[in-house]
Amino acid sequence: MGKPPTSKKQQKRGVDFKKFKRKIGRKLPPAKNATNTNIQSKAIILPEQSVASERLGLALSKKGLTLKELLQQTSHHNAKVRKDAVVGIGDLTIKYPNELKVHRLAIIEKLRERISDEDKAVREALYLLLKTVIFPGSLEDASGPFISLIMAYIFNAMTHLVIDIRLMAFKFFDLVVQHYPSSFLSSAEKVLQNYGDILRKNHIFLEDKGKLKNALGGLVRCLSLLPFVNKEIGSASDNCNNASGALHAFESEAPKKNTGFSSLVTTLEDLLQILYNCFQELTSSVHVMSQIDVKSIDCMSCVLKCIDLAVKFFILGNSSSETGFEVLVPSMSKGAEFVLGKFTIQMLLKKLLQIFPLDPIHQPSQKDDEIYYVWNVGIAEILMRISEAVDPLAILGGRFLLFIENALSAQICCSTRSSRSIWENNSVLLLPFIPRLVLRVQSDWKFRLLQAFTNTFKGCKPNSALNVACVNAIEDMLLPSNRDITLFADTSESEILDFQISWIQELPHLLVQLGDGHPSSSKVILHLLLRLGQCAPINPSLSSGYDNLQKSLTEFYSTPQAEGAMHNGPFVKLPRDCQELAVSSLYYFSSLDPLLLRSLASCCLCNTLEPFVLFRIIEVLDSSHKAGHIQIADYISFCVTLLTRFTITPENSECAANNKKNASHYRTVKAVTDVVCSCLSHIGDDATILQMLQRIMVSELSLNPPLDNKRAILRLLVLLDSKPTILPEQSICNLANSLLQYLLDAASYIPEDDDDVDYDESNDKDQMRICQYYFVPCFFLFDRSGRLLSLVLNLMGSLIAGAKPLDPSHQCNEPAFDRANRISAITSILIFMRGDMKLRRALSSCKAEMTYILQNLLSLQASNELNMNLEERHRLQLSYDQLKSATNR
Amino acid sequence: MEFSKTMEVVMASSKLDAGISCFDIETGAEQLRLKSCASPPHGLISLSERFFVSSQVRESSSSSSGSILHWFWTKAVADVKSFPAEPISPLVSNSDGTYIIGGGCSGNIYLWEVASGRLLKKWNAHYRGVTCFVLSDDESLLISGAEDGCVRVWSLLMIFDDIGRTAATHLYEHNFSEHTLKVTDIVTGHGGCNAIIISSSEDRTCKVWSLSKGKLLRTIDFPSAINAVALDPCEHIFYAGGKDGKIYVVSLTGENTSASKYGMHIVGALSDNSNNAVTCLAFSKSGVLLVSGWEDGRIRIWDTKSKQIVRMLQHSKGQVSNVIVVHRPLNSTSQTSMATQSSASKRNASLLPPLDKYVTSTDDNDDFKTVTASQHPLSRVTDALYCSSDVMKSQIKELQQEGSTAASQLELDRLRVECKRSLQMAEQWKRMHGDLHQYCADELVDCGRNGGDK
Repeated sequence: MGKPPTSKKQQKRGVDFKKFKRKIGRKLPPAKNATNTNIQSKAIILPEQSVASERLGLALSKKGLTLKELLQQTSHHNAKVRKDAVVGIGDLTIKYPNELKVHRLAIIEKLRERISDEDKAVREALYLLLKTVIFPGSLEDASGPFISLIMAYIFNAMTHLVIDIRLMAFKFFDLVVQHYPSSFLSSAEKVLQNYGDILRKNHIFLEDKGKLKNALGGLVRCLSLLPFVNKEIGSASDNCNNASGALHAFESEAPKKNTGFSSLVTTLEDLLQILYNCFQELTSSVHVMSQIDVKSIDCMSCVLKCIDLAVKFFILGNSSSETGFEVLVPSMSKGAEFVLGKFTIQMLLKKLLQIFPLDPIHQPSQKDDEIYYVWNVGIAEILMRISEAVDPLAILGGRFLLFIENALSAQICCSTRSSRSIWENNSVLLLPFIPRLVLRVQSDWKFRLLQAFTNTFKGCKPNSALNVACVNAIEDMLLPSNRDITLFADTSESEILDFQISWIQELPHLLVQLGDGHPSSSKVILHLLLRLGQCAPINPSLSSGYDNLQKSLTEFYSTPQAEGAMHNGPFVKLPRDCQELAVSSLYYFSSLDPLLLRSLASCCLCNTLEPFVLFRIIEVLDSSHKAGHIQIADYISFCVTLLTRFTITPENSECAANNKKNASHYRTVKAVTDVVCSCLSHIGDDATILQMLQRIMVSELSLNPPLDNKRAILRLLVLLDSKPTILPEQSICNLANSLLQYLLDAASYIPEDDDDVDYDESNDKDQMRICQYYFVPCFFLFDRSGRLLSLVLNLMGSLIAGAKPLDPSHQCNEPAFDRANRISAITSILIFMRGDMKLRRALSSCKAEMTYILQNLLSLQASNELNMNLEERHRLQLSYDQLKSATNR
Repeated sequence: MEFSKTMEVVMASSKLDAGISCFDIETGAEQLRLKSCASPPHGLISLSERFFVSSQVRESSSSSSGSILHWFWTKAVADVKSFPAEPISPLVSNSDGTYIIGGGCSGNIYLWEVASGRLLKKWNAHYRGVTCFVLSDDESLLISGAEDGCVRVWSLLMIFDDIGRTAATHLYEHNFSEHTLKVTDIVTGHGGCNAIIISSSEDRTCKVWSLSKGKLLRTIDFPSAINAVALDPCEHIFYAGGKDGKIYVVSLTGENTSASKYGMHIVGALSDNSNNAVTCLAFSKSGVLLVSGWEDGRIRIWDTKSKQIVRMLQHSKGQVSNVIVVHRPLNSTSQTSMATQSSASKRNASLLPPLDKYVTSTDDNDDFKTVTASQHPLSRVTDALYCSSDVMKSQIKELQQEGSTAASQLELDRLRVECKRSLQMAEQWKRMHGDLHQYCADELVDCGRNGGDK
C-alpha cells in the first residue's frame, strides 16, 4: 500500500472523476465506488440481552429501578428524586419482603442519612417508610446493630441547627422506641437533654405554638416510657403469664437493674426546671390573651402532663427501689424517707403553690372557666403527688383545700352537658389522692372534704369512670389494706364512721342499678364488698354496717313479687367471676338474714343458673353454717327448699315426651341431692336431725311434688334413718300412701319384659340404671321397716280392688282402662322388687298381703261389673299369672 | 442410750372427743390412746417428738373457754392444762420444741416459751380467726393463714425487734390476700426465705406464692373446696385433699401441663369412691406414704408410688381433724426401762409449766435475749437449743440451790452416769478380787501340797 496507488490516482484524475458542480441545497449523487453500508437481515440475533430485559429476574420498584439504584438516588441532589427514591424503596420492599431481610442493614445504612434531610417531604416519606415497612418487618431478629446504626444519626439530627429537623428527629426516636422499647433506657439521658435544649429556645415557640406542641407531645411519650411511671401496666402483664411459667425457673435480673440511674435523675431535674419555665411563660402569655387559642390549651396540658410524669418518676422510682425480701436488712433503714431529686420537686411544689389556682384575669367566659378548671386540676394532681412523697403538710392551706372541695362538689363548672363531662373526666384524676389528703387535714376540713366526696359518689352515674374511681377511693378509705392508710379502719370519730356507713349502704343499690350489663364495674364493687366482709370485725360499727347490707342485697339476688313468685336479680346473669365474688362475700355475714337466704334459694332454683355456681352457693353456705353464721333453722329450711323444689326443666322437648331425660339432667339432680343431703347430715347427729325433719319431709311428700324431688326426700330419709327404722308410727302410715303413689309413678321406668326382643341393649342398661335410681331409696325403706312394706302392699291390694280411688280428680274418666294400667304397674313393681335379694326375703314374710293382692286380682277377673275389652282382660290374666308364679317361687 | 431405736407412728385427733390415737405406720397396729382431746384442724403438734400439745375448742361449753393440753408418751391423761385468753385453734412449734405459737379465733397470734410458759409476744395478725400455721424450714419465718382469706408472712426477728416494729408501717413481710374464702392449709417448700409456699382455700383454689418475691406464682383451680395440702419432699408434686373425697395430685413442674379432666396442672386424683371429705394430710418421714384423715373418722394411708391404699385405720366416729407422723422412742414401751421413763415423765411434767394467759411486763431489758445452750443431755441430735436467757438464769440458779426440778434432773443424770461407772468399777474390783482369791488359794494349796510333799 502506500505510494504507488496514490500516484496512479492522481494521474487519472481528470478521467476517473467527473467534476460536479456543487450547489447548495442539492444532494450529490453517491459515488460509484461507495460501499453500501445498508445491512439487511431477516432477524437480528444477539447473544446478550439489552439493559431493559436484564432486570427481569431482579426486584424492581414501580418505576423499574433496582434497590441499588434507589439507594444511590437517596443521596441525589434533587429533593424530589430523593423522595421518590425513598418511596420507591417502600414499594420494592412491600413487593419483595425477602429483599428487606437480606439487605436490611445496607438499606438502613443508606436511609439513616436522610434523617437529617433538609427537605421536609423526604423526611416525611422516610418516616412513613420506617413506620409501615421496615420496623414491622424486622421485629423478630435481634436488633442491636440495627438500632445503634439509626440512633447515631437521630442524635445527630437532634442537635441540628434547623428546628424542624430536630423536631422530626424526636419523632423518629419515638418511632424507634415504639418498636424497640428496650432501647429507650440506654439513650434516655441523651434524648432528655436534647429535649431540654430545644425547650430552652422558647422564643421560637412563642411565635409558633404548633411546634411547641409537637415537641411537648413527643416529650410526653418519652417520659411515659421511663421506668416506674407505668407500673400498673407491668404488673398486670405479670399476672397474666404466671399461669404457664415454671415455678423454679431461672430469671435473669439484668434488665431490671437500672444502671446509670443517677445521671438520669440529674437530667430530669434540669428538664423539670425547664418545663416549669415553659409553664410560666405559657401562663403569662395566656393571661395577656383575650381569647385563649386551642394551641396554647394543648401546650399547657402537655406541659402539665410532662411535669406530672417527671414527678411520678421521682416518686415511684423511690418507692419501687425497695422491693424484695429484706428479712436481714436492719429495719431501721426502711422507714427513712428518701426521694430522688427531693430538693427539685420541693422547689417545684413551693413555686406551684404560689400561683395555684390559676385564675383568668379578664372577665371569664364559661369556656375559659372550663379551661382553667382543667389546668388547675392538672396542677392539683402534681401538687398532691409531690406532697404525698416529700412534704405532707405543704398543701393543707385553705386555698388548696377549697379548690379540691369545689372541684369535688362540682361547683366550678357544671351547668351544661359538655362541661359536666369535662368535670367528670377531671375529677377522676383527683379522686385517688383524696383518701390520703383527708387523712391529713384538720377535722373540720375532713368533714367538708368527705361531704364533697360523698356528694360526688352519690351523684355520679352508676357505670362511669368517675364511679369506679369513687369506689376505689372508698376501698382505700374503708379497708386497712397494705397501703399505709390504716387510720380509717379503726377510727373512732363518729362522723367519719357515718360517712363510711353511708358509702357502704350505697353499694348494693349500685349493684342493682348496674344490672348485668356492666360486669367490670360490678366486679369492682363486689370485690370491695368481699374485702369489706373479710376485715369487718376490726370495728363493731363497720361489721354491723356490713351485716345491714343484707336487706338491700336481696334485690341483687332476687326479689319477691306478687303471689310468691320471685323475680331474679342481676346476679343470675353476671359472669362467673362476679358470681363467685358475690357468693364468697356471703360467708362473711356474721348472721345471714332469712330473707337473703330466701332470695338465694330462689336463685338456686332458677334454671338459668349454672350448676357450678349453685354448688358454690351450697358449699359456701355450708361452711358459713359451720362457722356459726347461719341459724340452724334457716339453714335447714334452705336445704329442704332446695331438696323439694329443685328441678331442671329438660330443654329438649322430645326427650321430655319420651320420658327419658338426658343423662346430664340426672347427674345434676343427683349431685344436688347428694350435696344437700350430706350438708344436712353434717349438721349433727343423724337421729336428731331425722327427728326434726321427718314430719316436714313426710308432709312434703304427700303434697305430690315431681318425681325427682320425691326421690330426693326419700334419699334424705334413708340417709338419716338407721336399720331398723326410727321413724315414728304416724309418719310411716303417712309415708305408705305417698310411697305407693311414688312407686306407681316410677313404675313407668321399669324396663319392659324380655319378649321385646328388638330392644336396644345399651338403652336397656340405661333404663335399668334410671330405674334403680328411683327404686333404691324405697327398697332401703322397706328393708328397714317391714311395717311400711306391709302397709304399702295392703294399699296396693285395695287399689286393685278399686275400693279406694287414688286420685279421683283426674282418674274418673276412664276407670277401667286406668285400672288395668295400674294393675300392670303394680305387677311390674312387685316383680321388680323380687329381683332384689333383700326385698325378696322381706316380701316372703308378707305372705298375707300378697295373697290379698292375688285375691283381689282374681275377684276382679271374676266380676263383670267393669266392661273390659278383650285386651285388658288378657293383660289382667297375664299379671295374675306372673304374680302367682312369682309368689310361689 | 437407746434412743436410736424408734418407731414411726401416726397420731390422729378428732374434733369430737375421741382422744389422740397412735398407730404404727408399718403395721397399722394401734399403740396407745391419749385421752380427752377434741382439737380443731391444725391443733395437734408434737414438741420435738417428746410431748404432744393440742389446742381444745369445745363448742358445747361457753365460747370463751379454750384450753391447751400437754401429753407425754407414757401417760394417757393430759398432764398440763393451760387456759389462754381466747380459744386457740392452730398451733405450731419449732423443731426443738422451744416455743409454741398459737393462733386465736379473733386473729391474734400468741408466742409462748415452752420452758418457762411465758407468753413472750402477742400481736394482732388477722381480721378474722387464724386457721393454720407453718414455719419456713429455717424457722425464721412464720406463715399464717386466716379465715378472712389472708396469708401473711411474719419474720420472727421482726416480731422481737421493738425499734423496727415502731418504724415499720406493718409488721408482716408479705400480705397475700388473693384468696376469697377461708385459708385451710399452708405448706412450705425448702429454701428458707427463698422457698415457695402453697396455700389451699375453701374458694376451690390452691395458690403458689414466692416468699422471696412476695408474689403469686400460680393459681390452681379445683372442682371442690380444698381442706388440706401436702407437698412432696422433692417439690414437684403436691397433694390436695378435697371436700369431695378426692386427693388431687398436682404437678408443680412442667411448663404447660396438659389439662386433665380435673383442670390445669392436676395430673390425677387418689380416690376412695366415698363422698366423705378429706380433712388432713401428712407425709411419712420417708416421703412415700401419704397419711390422710377423713371426715368419716378413718385414716387412709396411700402409697404414692403405686397410688393404692395400703392401710386403713379407724380413729373415731367423728371427722379426723389432725394427723401427724412422728417418731416414737421404742424403749418407752419396753418393760425394763419403765421405771426410768416414769421418772422421766415426772421430770417432764415439772419441766413444762402451763402457758401464760397474758404478756407479763418485764423490767429487764435483756429478757428476750436468746442464748445458745450447751447440748441438752437427752437430745439425740447435736443441734443447739435456744432458750431465753431468763430460763437459763433460773436454771442456773436452781442448779446452785440444788433444790429444783431441772437441777435435780441434771443431778440425776450425773448420778446415773456415776452409778454406771461405779457399777463398772465394782465389777472390776470383783473380778480382781476373784482373781486374787484364786491366786491366793492356788498358792496356798500349792504351798500346802509342796509342804506336804516336803
